[in-house]
Amino acid sequence: MFGGIRKRLESMRTIRTLCQQAELHARREAKQEPGAEHFLLAALDLPDGTARVAFAQVGANAASFGDAIARQYDEALRHIGIEPPTVSRRGPRQDAGGAGGGLYHAAASGKQVMQALAASHKDHAPLLGAHVVAVVADMEHGVAARALEAMGVDRGALKRAAEDAARA
Amino acid sequence: MDELSVLPAPDEPDKALAAVVALRDLADRLERQAVASALRQGWSWARIAQALGVTKQAAHKRLSGTVAGDDHR
Repeated sequence: MFGGIRKRLESMRTIRTLCQQAELHARREAKQEPGAEHFLLAALDLPDGTARVAFAQVGANAASFGDAIARQYDEALRHIGIEPPTVSRRGPRQDAGGAGGGLYHAAASGKQVMQALAASHKDHAPLLGAHVVAVVADMEHGVAARALEAMGVDRGALKRAAEDAARA
Repeated sequence: MDELSVLPAPDEPDKALAAVVALRDLADRLERQAVASALRQGWSWARIAQALGVTKQAAHKRLSGTVAGDDHR
């Protein structure tokens, strides 16, 4: 019983850290709300290290995911004949938790991640970065999926590796 | 900026939708850069909002936290 409560508290702390870090990553790109790609970056920051283990299992360099996000924007522009101009992607505000303690707002894909994590919370003992990776890897479309594709990552293989890392 | 020389084929909705998202991202970045530059040159938020075709409140709410050189005018 107490073990269950402890794990639930750990999961709550992890969710808080995850949301704060996702917001920080979004702001670094001057985005107002974090999307699935920012939750994946936040998962890679978590101290449990399981998100990075999942990436390593499929031979992907987790540190290059941020660059892959920028690259998929550039590739999408090139596809319609636009050579991406040099305009900074960096936002000036790098602080987390700047929303002033109000309701947490995520972009649609970020909400999808949170909802999927909430729906599967009984499988988390406690919540780990690998659980977030599995959820994001399961998303077929969007910036995160295109960034993983730009890295040459097979999303199905990443999802399986994340599920294995979460169980280990 | 180059002209649109290659439009996504209608049978490639994933590419076309990715291009829409990338164009929005590019427009947002250009907007932040232009607003930051205007603020540095002493433009008021009212003037910036008029140039962008939005209300001053909307411009300030959406952009004040994401551009450098914000003087909250």
